[in-house]
Amino acid sequence: MNDFSELEAELKKLRPRPVSPDLSARIEVGLAENEAAGRGTATAGVLPKQRRFRPNWFALGLGLAAAVTFLVLARVNVDRPSKSTGLALLTPAPITPTAKAVDGFVPSAMTQVVYDTKDEGLHFAEGADEPMRRLRSRKRETVQWKNPQTGASLRVTYPTEEVTLVPISGQ
Amino acid sequence: MEDVVTHEEDWKVCFAELGPGLVLFARQFVRSIADAEDIVQDAFVRFWRKQHSGDPPTPGFGAANRGLLYATVRSVALDLLRRDARRARREATASADMEQTTEPQFDFDDGSQRALAAAIDLLPVEQREVLVMKIWNELTFAEIASALSISQNTAASRYRYALAALKKNFVVHE
Repeated sequence: MNDFSELEAELKKLRPRPVSPDLSARIEVGLAENEAAGRGTATAGVLPKQRRFRPNWFALGLGLAAAVTFLVLARVNVDRPSKSTGLALLTPAPITPTAKAVDGFVPSAMTQVVYDTKDEGLHFAEGADEPMRRLRSRKRETVQWKNPQTGASLRVTYPTEEVTLVPISGQ
Repeated sequence: MEDVVTHEEDWKVCFAELGPGLVLFARQFVRSIADAEDIVQDAFVRFWRKQHSGDPPTPGFGAANRGLLYATVRSVALDLLRRDARRARREATASADMEQTTEPQFDFDDGSQRALAAAIDLLPVEQREVLVMKIWNELTFAEIASALSISQNTAASRYRYALAALKKNFVVHE
């Protein structure tokens, strides 16, 4: 027995005031909220970061620059044979000297309608050192004659096809 | 109390046994029952959450667990006081004039007990918290030392100082 045993006995006779009835309910609510929040794992304030999509601007820029450089240096030839259909060109063609007056009829007009142009690619012409691009044009020519004395007119329409070799400029 | 913290459903058993002592302990830092109960609520939920986190719970309700529970109550109480400086000043003012302004911590049977309770209020808080943990919560000095992060010798010394001061004051009041 120490000197304070009597005092300790007196102290233990003091009864702490009872806890209010709602405190237990409040704790229950607190624990329930904790359960609802994903089993309430204690993290001591250190929470794992949520993964968020964050673009890597450096890598993105580097890739873009590489792509542009490739395009500039490679000069990708994206020319393709045209598959145009329909009217390509309507040109009033000059009257050629070969169209001579026949029986009082004189040439009065001539038109060319280019309705198709096709790029047939590169071809090596005989004796040529460099390849040339061959273009095939399909036209419809109309030649008109008039007789100035009688006022009669004659019009002739015929299809033509023209192949043009275009030199390729060095690049 | 064996294994009480290993079962989530047993928190009511644990709290029914420790609740009054915990609130009394919290009252050593604040001067109203409502504040003390708020502290205990927060601390108990934190403690229980910690015990049932992903980590394996400490088996039994040993010294480390009890020490952790009271340490949590103390930490929450001190955080509360730090957060609200005005409140802390009010508490300090209240402690200087506590007989008129504080709610009683105990139920009294007679005037002698009232005088003893008044003498307890006059103790320094360092001695009072050790006294409360030892007498009304029945913690060992090892558990008290764990809760307060002090040595067992320091805890025992504070306890003896508290009893000595009480004996002196209580005799005077008698």
